[in-house]
Amino acid sequence: MSAEAEERPGNGYTGPMIKLEGVEKRFGDLKVLNGVDLEIRKGEVVCVIGPSGSGKSTLLRCINLLAPPEAGQISLEGTEITSKDFDEGLDFVRRRVGMVFQQFNLFPHKNALENVTMAPQRVLGRSAEECRARGEELLERVGISDKIGEYPERLSGGQQQRVAIARALAMDPHVMLFDEVTSALDPELVKEVLDVMRELADEGMTMIVVTHEMGFARDVADRVVFMDEGVVVEQGPPVEVLENPQGERTKRFLGLVLEH
Amino acid sequence: MDRILEQYFDFGVMFDPSNFDKVIDGFVFTIKLSIVAGIASLIWGLILAILRQTPGRLSWIVRVPTVAYIDVLRGVPALLTILLVSTSLGALAATDPLTGEGSVIPRWLGVPEWFGQPSPFWYGVFAITLTYGAYMAEVYRAGIEAVPGGQMEAARSLGMSYGKAMRFVIVPQAIRKVIPPLLNDYIALMKDTTLVSVIGLIEVVQAGRDIQSVEFNSSSLMLGAILFVLVTIPLARVVDWMITRQQAQYQRGSA
Repeated sequence: MSAEAEERPGNGYTGPMIKLEGVEKRFGDLKVLNGVDLEIRKGEVVCVIGPSGSGKSTLLRCINLLAPPEAGQISLEGTEITSKDFDEGLDFVRRRVGMVFQQFNLFPHKNALENVTMAPQRVLGRSAEECRARGEELLERVGISDKIGEYPERLSGGQQQRVAIARALAMDPHVMLFDEVTSALDPELVKEVLDVMRELADEGMTMIVVTHEMGFARDVADRVVFMDEGVVVEQGPPVEVLENPQGERTKRFLGLVLEH
Repeated sequence: MDRILEQYFDFGVMFDPSNFDKVIDGFVFTIKLSIVAGIASLIWGLILAILRQTPGRLSWIVRVPTVAYIDVLRGVPALLTILLVSTSLGALAATDPLTGEGSVIPRWLGVPEWFGQPSPFWYGVFAITLTYGAYMAEVYRAGIEAVPGGQMEAARSLGMSYGKAMRFVIVPQAIRKVIPPLLNDYIALMKDTTLVSVIGLIEVVQAGRDIQSVEFNSSSLMLGAILFVLVTIPLARVVDWMITRQQAQYQRGSA
């Protein structure tokens, strides 16, 4: 656990923001998560790295219950969301957890602003004017204020991804999940997205970032988690994990990623 | 050669005022029926497609009957469905002449005469909607399945329920994708409305046949064919144009 994370001011609830214990998930015969334990504090930025197929994306989908785990417990702000007698589960989770996807997944039949305002309007029942004002503010924050009327097909990948971040923020999440959000982008567009994420991190957002961007992990993460074969192999401050890995598997992976 | 031309293109028969009016009236009836049945089929088909996609553990309770309905109605000729609907509904709404047993369904449903249209018109609408709803359900389904899975994930991750995600995200995209095939089905539906002639409706084919049997000449039937082609060919071209336009959109690399 990094010192910075502990120094960040908290309000009210002081326990871990997210706590996973022995989380398991399988797709058919394939066991993707094999008992994951992880704690994330409020305001912490955690980067999850690891080879493809190691269960990183599935981990995020378990946390917001897009793919509910088969075994183990997940708690969000002290409430166990995987418990069978927790009725308001999905609502409770999805109003607190925002997610950004590798393929952006913007709604192609809606323009940038409508993409951002749809959920607050349809889910939270906020007024159109309120959503519009907030949507414009969010799009300005991610640097797209000049394109609010454009449809996704007319935006670059980087712009689409920034709209997607604004769309998730419009629901006022307490935690943001980022699933390889720069992997589908042309190299010159990666920075504009990472800059937005960096800003979010500076503002104290709790973030779990699945990424292959080692530079971002080193600069922004409070903690780096290395996953392989469905388990957390190693975790710690970025300097320790990235520059002085302990496990053999971590060493091999970082060797492959950082060499080229 | 002259006899062939005369058989099909005897303008004296074709444009004889009384014959011509009969054919035109028949065609107007066909168009009216196809518009009402077409709209009803579009709505019924969408309902079936959504029911067929019901998620969840107990969803088979809804899905199995829906799939069975779609399979059966697509497997039965429209003509047979028309016959099964028409006289039977009227009979079920009447008192049994032998036993004196009361009606099984209310009269407004058994002998519908809504909006001043005769009940055979509504039997035609029912039967064609039952059949074409099943066809169109399959078209909608293809559209729903063609929406990338990430769209549902994104909608759900934003807190939308399954229903809201379908309504605001999935179905609007699916419909855009399937407008051309739906129009194709509509063309087929239009042609199949002529089958209602079997329940005594004077639509365009029946009008032509009546004249044929009097004049021993097919020119009025041919006029009906020409009227159909005047409507269906432009519609088919519109479909082609929409498909080309859609493909151009895909090539620009967007969904």
